[in-house]
Amino acid sequence: MSCHAVRPLLPARAEELTPMEALIRAEHVAGCSRCAAEAAAYSRLGQALTVMAHLEAEPADGTLERVLIAIGRRRTRVTDPRVLAAAGSAGALVATVVVARALRQRRQSQPAPAWARRLHVPGLPLPAAALARAK
Amino acid sequence: MEVDRELVEAAQAGDRWALEELVRRTHRGVYTCALRLVGNPDDAADVTQDVYLRVVRKLGGFRHEASFATWLNRVTTNVAMSTLKRRTRRFTVEGAAVPADTRDPAPEPAERAEAVALARRLERLVAELPEGQRQVLVLRDVYGQSTEEVANAMGLTPGAVKVRLFRARERLKAELEAAEGGQVVALSGRRRATGRRS
Repeated sequence: MSCHAVRPLLPARAEELTPMEALIRAEHVAGCSRCAAEAAAYSRLGQALTVMAHLEAEPADGTLERVLIAIGRRRTRVTDPRVLAAAGSAGALVATVVVARALRQRRQSQPAPAWARRLHVPGLPLPAAALARAK
Repeated sequence: MEVDRELVEAAQAGDRWALEELVRRTHRGVYTCALRLVGNPDDAADVTQDVYLRVVRKLGGFRHEASFATWLNRVTTNVAMSTLKRRTRRFTVEGAAVPADTRDPAPEPAERAEAVALARRLERLVAELPEGQRQVLVLRDVYGQSTEEVANAMGLTPGAVKVRLFRARERLKAELEAAEGGQVVALSGRRRATGRRS
């Protein structure tokens, strides 16, 4: 295999080559010092690029604060699904209590029916209200 | 960008301090990745903010199948690519994206020092690559994403990613050798021939 044919394989990482391509490259590089030097240079480049992932640039002043403020505004909308489920259950419980109390108050404020008013004895509460209170 | 699992879990459970600590520990890495992809500091800062807004929305769904850093890099990639698609570039001065003050958060043992020094020199050369080549190279070779992941993020075919990657590596190696003064003669002709392609 000529240098010209192998050259496109030299920049590739091992996992990017088929087994056949890897074999061709290895055999050629073993016998060609120029391509071996090229392959070594690409290998060194690859290692240095990997190291780049650990280098960090310093963002402009205020970037972190900006992010913290932005997520502070949104944070309450998002939590763990378990927390969301618990919040949902609590909300449902509160809603149930509120509706129950409203219904009870409505029942208490309704005027007694005509038959009950006819039976009304002065000094005693109307039957509907008395019943509701007893409950 | 190392993050404890306990910290992530606390943030997932709604612990405000944990979430803010997570941001404090990772924001430089997110900003740097964004800067390498979008090419200018203002857009990188916007991307960084959008990344964390997305993190807050999606953190509950993170299942620790990959490391948090890997997940965060994917989020950063997606936000950066969306930003690039939405915006017309404000300026395209080559080299403007160089994170000139990169620092290595890990301790620097002697055997690592040379690789770190080389990586710092590469930072500028990478920033000078054509945008398409730079993005592919950064995602694949710096952040270790698979060819398929890069293709998905950039809306390219895997074949197109491989072509850009090949050109980027070839050009970068030539530029590096030129900068270091080695093998310049052998490579300069090829660099001139391939240097304007993207």
